[in-house]
Amino acid sequence: MRVSLFVTCLADQLWPSAAVGAVHVLRRVGCAVEFDERQTCCGQPAFNTGYRPAARVLARRAIEIFESSAADAIVSPSGSCTAMVHHYDQLFDDDAWQARARGVAERTHELSSFLVNRLGVEDVGASFSGRLTWHDACHGLRDLGIKHEPRRLLRHVKGAELIELPPPGAETCCGFGGTFSVKCPEISVAMLDEKVDAIERAGVDAVVSGDVSCLMQIAGRLSRRGSTVRAIHLADVLASTR
Amino acid sequence: MTFERDARTALADGQLRGALRQATTLFGERRRAALATAPDWEGARDRARAIKDETLEHLDRYLEQFTANAERAGARVHWARDAAEACDIIGGIAERRGARSVVKSKSMVSEEIHLNAALARRGIEPVETDLGEYIVQLAGETPSHIVVPAIHKTKAQIAALFADKLGIAPSDDVATLTAAARDALRRRFAEADLGISGVNFAVAETGTILILENEGNARLTTSLPRTHVALMGIEKVIPRFPDLDVFLQLLPRSGTGQVLTAYQSLITGTKHRPEDEGPEELHIVVLDNGRSRMLASRVTRQALACIRCGACLNACPVYRQIGGHAYGSVYPGPIGAVLSPQLFGLARSAALPYASSLCGACRDVCPVKIDIPALLLHLRAQVVERGAGTHRVLERLAFRTYAAVMTRPRLFGWVVGFARRLRIMPPLSAWTKWRDLRPLAPRSFREQWRAGLRDEGDPDA
Amino acid sequence: MRSGDARREILHAIRTNLRSSPPVQSSPSPEGRGGQGVRTPEGRGGQAVRITQFTEQLTAVGARCTTVRGEADAAAALARILTEAGARRVVGSDAPLVQRLLQSVGNGLVLATDRLERLSRDELFACDAGVTTAQWGIAETGTLVLESARERSRLLSLVPPIHVALLSTRCICDSLGDALARVSTSSHAITFITGPSRTSDIELTLVVGVHGPQTVHVLLMEES
Repeated sequence: MRVSLFVTCLADQLWPSAAVGAVHVLRRVGCAVEFDERQTCCGQPAFNTGYRPAARVLARRAIEIFESSAADAIVSPSGSCTAMVHHYDQLFDDDAWQARARGVAERTHELSSFLVNRLGVEDVGASFSGRLTWHDACHGLRDLGIKHEPRRLLRHVKGAELIELPPPGAETCCGFGGTFSVKCPEISVAMLDEKVDAIERAGVDAVVSGDVSCLMQIAGRLSRRGSTVRAIHLADVLASTR
Repeated sequence: MTFERDARTALADGQLRGALRQATTLFGERRRAALATAPDWEGARDRARAIKDETLEHLDRYLEQFTANAERAGARVHWARDAAEACDIIGGIAERRGARSVVKSKSMVSEEIHLNAALARRGIEPVETDLGEYIVQLAGETPSHIVVPAIHKTKAQIAALFADKLGIAPSDDVATLTAAARDALRRRFAEADLGISGVNFAVAETGTILILENEGNARLTTSLPRTHVALMGIEKVIPRFPDLDVFLQLLPRSGTGQVLTAYQSLITGTKHRPEDEGPEELHIVVLDNGRSRMLASRVTRQALACIRCGACLNACPVYRQIGGHAYGSVYPGPIGAVLSPQLFGLARSAALPYASSLCGACRDVCPVKIDIPALLLHLRAQVVERGAGTHRVLERLAFRTYAAVMTRPRLFGWVVGFARRLRIMPPLSAWTKWRDLRPLAPRSFREQWRAGLRDEGDPDA
Repeated sequence: MRSGDARREILHAIRTNLRSSPPVQSSPSPEGRGGQGVRTPEGRGGQAVRITQFTEQLTAVGARCTTVRGEADAAAALARILTEAGARRVVGSDAPLVQRLLQSVGNGLVLATDRLERLSRDELFACDAGVTTAQWGIAETGTLVLESARERSRLLSLVPPIHVALLSTRCICDSLGDALARVSTSSHAITFITGPSRTSDIELTLVVGVHGPQTVHVLLMEES
């Protein structure tokens, strides 16, 4: 199985361990991984803020880059970026580009969904000691339907104990929402504090999520509040063999 | 900007936030429990949405059919292009019928058109009879939730309000407070000669209007006075009488977690004989006020499928923090964020489409499957295109730069490499005031890939 | 005429805006039957299930239920209910059954005039209890259905704080959808009643008995 990595700009620059970890895990389960260095950003920030022409330009670019790959699948350590690719067809009026967009979307998978649903793998041979809780990133959860996949993967991690987040729960938005986090910062942080309160009540060593954007939001507040709870990416855990 | 200021005020109000947290949590639990009692919830949502889509696709035909059948049954149907015209029509009816004592049951459209103020200018003061609306009216405020208008008020605040306006002894017993309102309003019902109500559904096939409620005030408003005025938006019509079934399965469960509300009144025209019970005259006012414009695109049109259940408000993590008043509109929450700009203009409500993290919880709970996030994104694109809202100069520049850099991977690499070496991060005080900012990693993924990660996996390396 | 102008303009605006959007792939028009309630089998076994479900749901929504056989039994139950409630001023609807029962209940109760239309509004508001029949009952939800063409029950089931409703077990149907199929809009007012009136507008605390009746008592008349 040959996989082309869709790294995402945030993981590339701000949380590379998630991407490096994804590569290690994919290789461990028998995939060959390629990486097209031409990729930059999927265009989500522009699309979400209303700058559709800019988003379209980046979408075309991403489609062309990933079309040119002969890999069996395109895999990303981000639910929101994967969801963006799945929405690419909405950016185009003409049938040709819509078809091309759908073609790429069909082959693009978020990491946990790829492992569990495409490869049928739940145990990736990981070891990670600690009490963990999972945060469902919104786009992955609601656009891609990712819910049980990360939980199954985490339950097979040796030494890890997975606890469901107390109310308002794992499914409640962390408040990032892209530019929302800086356009409406007080509301964003109010939402975030409810999430962080729940994380602290859970009595865990770390909160795990599949999206770097959520992790930045949560980690940023955990450290500002002086919490000892760490925020880590799913790929960080799955790649770990300690 | 008003939204930012009002949101900040709400966030600083600890009592409001506690009330919102409690209410939205409770409604969420009740809704979930109620879904379990529905025979085929997802099937019902699909059927209801299909009916709404069909109706909107032929809205002119169904409105004409409704009008013909309602009038055949004895109602008088009036058409109003905008708020002013609707207020004028209703004021005219009130004057012609010599209305001196007016009672009103819950109607969001009446708030949308500022009916009470318009009637007041004619010397007519309708009293709100829905308990939450009555409280809000006495307090001189506006409702903050579609289903529970006074959700932002504690019983202590209400007790003080009633002591002041109704002259009762202050009490923190909810039943006592409710009884005080009941007694005050009962006197008004007994003397009312005009009742104004909303409409939940208008059936084209029969000319029937349906009104749902729990308290009984809508029944009193629509059966006792000699004149009944029912106010509805053009989107309230549904094709056939049996269609009511699926909407009655969805609305009470979605709104309050009830299988059915205490009362549904199905009113078809007027009484057949003078000695029968009920009003002599029924006037149905059909209002456009910007709704017809929304039919122009399928994305915007779906907002007209809304059945005003309030489920999206209860599910929204943003509404949960700031409540309804911050939205500055009679329609708050997720549906308000997409309706208000379209009804009242983007210029006035440019902030609302951005008052969301796009989490999608609203779309999950909407009984008619309105894709609110898609609508929000559509409106954001319109805001940018039309240059609505304030201070977009820097933002436009930022996105132009972003696009230029992201289409040039070598430039991208150079910019981030430069920023990394100099340890520069964008001065985002809107982030750093509350959250630590993670710096650029010492080595990006692509640097690590090039430096050896690529070859690690290559058996021939 | 101004309203004619408004009508023309609104319809025109609707048509113009609909035309300007791309055509939808038309899905077949959904047929009217929106509901898919569980269907109880017909026959006596089915009716017994319906009756049981109806009485359970009535209780769940806060109404009371007494099963009676025949008019004498009903009259006795009615007298008991009214006495226990301390109801002095009682008015019945124009349904012959109601008139008969109230006549035989008589003692000690101050009955208002038997011609409903002569009742002034003040007298109506001073009533303690209203007695009506119900045309249908809905088993799935414990709902009573009143049709204005069949009986003058609209105000008596609403204004007095106690509502007593006589319902034949033969008239209980399965579901909301069934009830909608049975009623006729030749009644200008059809009312569905599910339990007593209620509100949670103050701090989400439930209060039973606001503007409508606080007590709903169903006398379920068994018919073989």
